Amino acid sequence: MGVAGEQCGDVLFMEPGGLRDLLRGLAGESALLSPTRTEHGFDLIRVEPGEAAVDPPWNGARTIPPLKGLWFRPAAVVARSTPETSGAGLDPAPIAVYGARACDLQGLAILDRVLRDHVFREPVYCASRERNLIISGDCTEPAESCFCTLLGGLPHPTAGFDLNLAPVSGGYVVEVGSARGRALVGQHTGRFAPASSEQVEERDRARQQVEERVRRQNERFATREPFERAIEKNLKTRIWGEVAATCVECGACNLACPTCHCFQLQDAAPSGAPLRFSLWDSCISAGHARMAGGGTPRLQLTERFKNHYYHKFVSFPRNWGVTACTGCGRCIDVCPGRIDKRSVLLQLETRWIPSEVAEVE
Amino acid sequence: MNDLQPMRARVEDVQVETPTIRTFVLRPERPVPFRAGQFVQLGIPGIGEAPFTPSSSPAVAERLETTVLRTGFVTNALHALEPGAEVGLRGPFGKGYPIDHFRDREVLVVGGGVGLAPLRALLYHLFSAMHWVRRVVIRYGARNPAELCFRRQYAEWAALERVDFLETIDRPAAGWNGRVGLVTTLLDDLDIDIPNACAVSCGPEVMLKFVTYKLLDIGLPPERIFLSMNRNMSCGMGICGRCNVGPFFLCKDGPDMCYADIKDIPYALG
Repeated sequence: MGVAGEQCGDVLFMEPGGLRDLLRGLAGESALLSPTRTEHGFDLIRVEPGEAAVDPPWNGARTIPPLKGLWFRPAAVVARSTPETSGAGLDPAPIAVYGARACDLQGLAILDRVLRDHVFREPVYCASRERNLIISGDCTEPAESCFCTLLGGLPHPTAGFDLNLAPVSGGYVVEVGSARGRALVGQHTGRFAPASSEQVEERDRARQQVEERVRRQNERFATREPFERAIEKNLKTRIWGEVAATCVECGACNLACPTCHCFQLQDAAPSGAPLRFSLWDSCISAGHARMAGGGTPRLQLTERFKNHYYHKFVSFPRNWGVTACTGCGRCIDVCPGRIDKRSVLLQLETRWIPSEVAEVE
Repeated sequence: MNDLQPMRARVEDVQVETPTIRTFVLRPERPVPFRAGQFVQLGIPGIGEAPFTPSSSPAVAERLETTVLRTGFVTNALHALEPGAEVGLRGPFGKGYPIDHFRDREVLVVGGGVGLAPLRALLYHLFSAMHWVRRVVIRYGARNPAELCFRRQYAEWAALERVDFLETIDRPAAGWNGRVGLVTTLLDDLDIDIPNACAVSCGPEVMLKFVTYKLLDIGLPPERIFLSMNRNMSCGMGICGRCNVGPFFLCKDGPDMCYADIKDIPYALG
């Protein structure tokens, strides 16, 4: 299974016809989500059984929506009025995802820590995560907003998949990443052959080229110090008001983020029986930390904006050992204020004025 | 085990403390062992839940009391409850008061308003442990005489050996002959052994701020000031994301924080 699964390490080759058959089979037995081109880019759309839409390969960056909503639902019933029935409804249909990118898998690895593997188990997340199959793919056409390499990531998956596909001449180099992936290969043995060393070399060359491209397009955003340091030394400066000047507080960055996981619990009884819902929340919205009686510790947008960066790059790493940003760049694409996280982080470093610290204190 | 699923608790009694504060005596379906300062999520099915630190003795797990100020959606609904009602309860959460720091010290307890509720659980604990605490000095303030919480117990507490209790109200009021002024005024000429003292405070955030400044003024080091920082705690496990003070999540790292740990965090006390 996914992130925690053992690395099987098999490297195989499959032709496009084999992949089509494999996906067609998956669409019949589970909810298959596949990147599908729309006027805005690649959306993640459910493939109906027998539908001809599964037409690999697809060349693109990550999909517009993050994958997280498949497991960490925007709205989910997480508890019921009586403990006896609390398990009911938490039996989600199996999900198969085709075309996940490395940044998607990193986002999922982060959510696994927070929502499953540590002190807390989000019931819907855990139940649906158990029954998923993830076929990822090497990133072939990174978007301009992609910056995984600035966060130490790579544009091709290295863990967290059941199968990973890398397009090469005449088909795909397939890497098996889990027992579940191995079982899938076992069901379609005739479709797979061992990959030749030439095919693996072709894959690796393509990987290097894509990685180089992502690095090059982010050279101008590279900071000398870690992001954490740039944020910490600006905790009391006024720069936040400037970098947040065009923020309209819509929270799209939170919705599009593969790692954002703030949620609020809401109790309601829509059809008589009390239910407890978990709803996605946004740290940018004014009500995020508001308390009973109306007070809030982060009344000003600039405080909330700062907290957003502080949490992702300073406090989350301290609490969880990993940065809560994968560099997928979705927040850049969706921001109506054209706020670019890379630019904000760079400005925190380059525009820092030590004397300001005293001014604001 | 579903962390978000409350257990049931029956409201055995409702005690009217002040016009805005009621104490709910709860019997949960299973015992809830808690340490003083830890909090529970108390909710009404279909309405919502909110965090409260029990005000009863942590020595009793089968029956706990929460003392609730009517101030919002959930607390309004709680105040409408009568004995026999059923509520949902999750927890306990958080670390609780760092009792070990209080050993062989004079413990200064400073409360404001309903902030005396969590402190009462601590007081019960300390009163049962006076053999290893030198003294307990309590200073408490409320807006007016009617809002003095647990007023029926003050005389009893003040009569205990090595326990000192003083209360004040914010402004003069008809029929009130006691002390007048914010609770910080009771800290001006404290008869305590500062080098061997530690302080615990719970109340509105603005009060915590000025109590802290006053305690620093009289020579208490940040390492021996502990503040109950109660914010919008929901999940109770540091996950849902809104009760943070800097890198700390009050629900798991607090709600009682050592001032030394938060003093350098901008706007930690508002």
